[in-house]
Amino acid sequence: MVSTKVVKYSPWLLHFNTGACNGCDIEVLAALTPYYDPERFGVKLAPNPRHADVMVVTGAVTKKAGERLNRLYEQMPSPKFVVAVGACAISGGVFSGSYSVLNGANKVVPVSMYVPGCPPRPEAILYGIVKLLSKLDGGGNE
Amino acid sequence: MSLIEIPVGPQHPALHEPIMLRVKADGERVVDVQVVTGYNHRGAEKLGERNTWSKNVFLYSRVCGICNTVHAQTYTQGVEAIGNVEVPPRAQYLRTLIMELERIHSHMLISAVMAEIVGFDSLFMLIMRDREPVMMLKELVTGNRVLSDYYTLGGVRRDVDEVKKDKILKVLESVEGRMKYYKKVFEEDFTLSRRLGGVGVVRHDEAVRYSLVGPTLRGSGVKSDVRADDPYAAYGEIPFNVITYDGGDSLSRMLVRFDETLESIEMVRYILNHLPQGPIAPKTPIRIIPAGEAFSRVEAPRGELFYHIVSKGGDKPYRVKVRTPSFHNIINGVIAYREANIADVPVILASVDPCISCTERVLVIDERSGKARSLRLKDLSRGLLDGS
Amino acid sequence: MSSVLDFLKSSGLNQLGSKQPRRYVFEVSAERLREVVGGLAKFKNIYVSSISGVDYVSEGFIEINYCLWVVDERFMVITKVRVPRDSPKVPTIYDLIPGALNSELEAYDLLGVVFEGNEKLRRGFLTPSEVASQGLFPLRKDFKV
Repeated sequence: MVSTKVVKYSPWLLHFNTGACNGCDIEVLAALTPYYDPERFGVKLAPNPRHADVMVVTGAVTKKAGERLNRLYEQMPSPKFVVAVGACAISGGVFSGSYSVLNGANKVVPVSMYVPGCPPRPEAILYGIVKLLSKLDGGGNE
Repeated sequence: MSLIEIPVGPQHPALHEPIMLRVKADGERVVDVQVVTGYNHRGAEKLGERNTWSKNVFLYSRVCGICNTVHAQTYTQGVEAIGNVEVPPRAQYLRTLIMELERIHSHMLISAVMAEIVGFDSLFMLIMRDREPVMMLKELVTGNRVLSDYYTLGGVRRDVDEVKKDKILKVLESVEGRMKYYKKVFEEDFTLSRRLGGVGVVRHDEAVRYSLVGPTLRGSGVKSDVRADDPYAAYGEIPFNVITYDGGDSLSRMLVRFDETLESIEMVRYILNHLPQGPIAPKTPIRIIPAGEAFSRVEAPRGELFYHIVSKGGDKPYRVKVRTPSFHNIINGVIAYREANIADVPVILASVDPCISCTERVLVIDERSGKARSLRLKDLSRGLLDGS
Repeated sequence: MSSVLDFLKSSGLNQLGSKQPRRYVFEVSAERLREVVGGLAKFKNIYVSSISGVDYVSEGFIEINYCLWVVDERFMVITKVRVPRDSPKVPTIYDLIPGALNSELEAYDLLGVVFEGNEKLRRGFLTPSEVASQGLFPLRKDFKV
């Protein structure tokens, strides 16, 4: 197993919108700008799933996007982690029960950290990721 | 030379709807673009039929997070038209205020994303930094940064006092200065004008025939703005100019947004200085709406937003049809890709404001050998991935 | 009096009332739809705002609202077409006004209205494959969530 120590100091993020209203997405984007300075934690957006350590999932996971979510997760190298951002990615939110929604990212991939809110503030998103890093010594999902 | 098919999508980090463009290219030239949709289809129209009238205000705010108040406005004004609900004038002004604040932050966001897509990362970071105070103003007025849930049937939920007013005016003054500067950058910077000017041209007559809306339509010189043509909320009483540019290219569409942002700042000032006194919401909540139907239109930051609401009486809607501006601009906007280079595809897509900033892996299939090989979009459009 | 309204009134269409300002609602039969929309398309600056289908299950018909915005004269023309639920078929207007394409695709995928002559119609435009493969249309009232 690759040491999680490598991930701990520079967790690169892969952001995937699985059918979000964009509210969480612009907050994730805002969390990556200088105002919140994510690079002090080594947090940076990865250009490619094969470079990513942490996948940030937003949105209610539509059935069509669910297949893509699974594919993206498989493309990520181990150790890998998933952070579900927002009420929709946790449980489907207001869209739970719809014919085209799977109700939450944990129906498709194992989720390590949940960040509640509709949408969560950028500080909360960063806090969730940093909190995940402090858990890292336990090892990631293979 | 054989045609190459390049799927662009559907994973985008800051995308409105995760769509996929299937680009057919002959070398560098784009021959055909097909749009593959459905990744973000959540069935909100069907869900609306099971919720009550007042619950739906929350559901339809969540159709789009960036323009959530305009969705709430379109829905509530449609329901209010069916139910003959009078909205107090102060509430109408406050609704207009929050919609204009939303337009400012939305236009700043797409300007930032556009700067990032053409590879001007520092400009992206700068505009995003200056956008944060506007988000804080939204929080000041509504209580939340993004999804405000400011609306209630017949009114709004929070009032603005003198302290908040002074704060808003002060912040907007600095935002105005910054936006004037960024407009100058977009107009005068050599790289930006070469990268955007003359790219993705949509002629005046085509823009209307292909049902493009909003800044995309006005960037082709068509003077059509729901706020002026079909006034709602307090827009009938607030002076403002409808901005048009005649170029029809990506640069014109961006400049429309800059001028609209400056116009919106003026409108917010007017609203705050002419805020009527009175209640902001009806005393009793509205629960039952009589039978009827309404065709509700609002100018969202991206263009005309349309709701068709049918009521058969009672506490639930019979049918709510939602048609968002991006639905027209993305799918019918494929005409803008004719004769474009592959590297221009992200620029044109961003210029219709679907909030795209791709972190993409692209698959190129060489039809002659039938062999698939992977390469990243970065190789096609430099700067697209850096820092995003 | 505007020329667009003159044209619609002279076509002998039945005008329905509307509570909202700047909305003109007309009833059109499926046979005359192309004639009316074709006539409207000759005017300058008219675009298809939306094609909105409503399933009236107890009445047994699907109503399709063609909402067209007249840019220069600043009003909306809504033409209502009623088709039976068991065979909802209307001619396409996509060749007359190309901007109607996405709205027709959506109405076919979600409501099952067949736009005859539009060769681009397909299931799965928006719906997930398991709904589309069962031949179900989510916005029909008998479709349970």
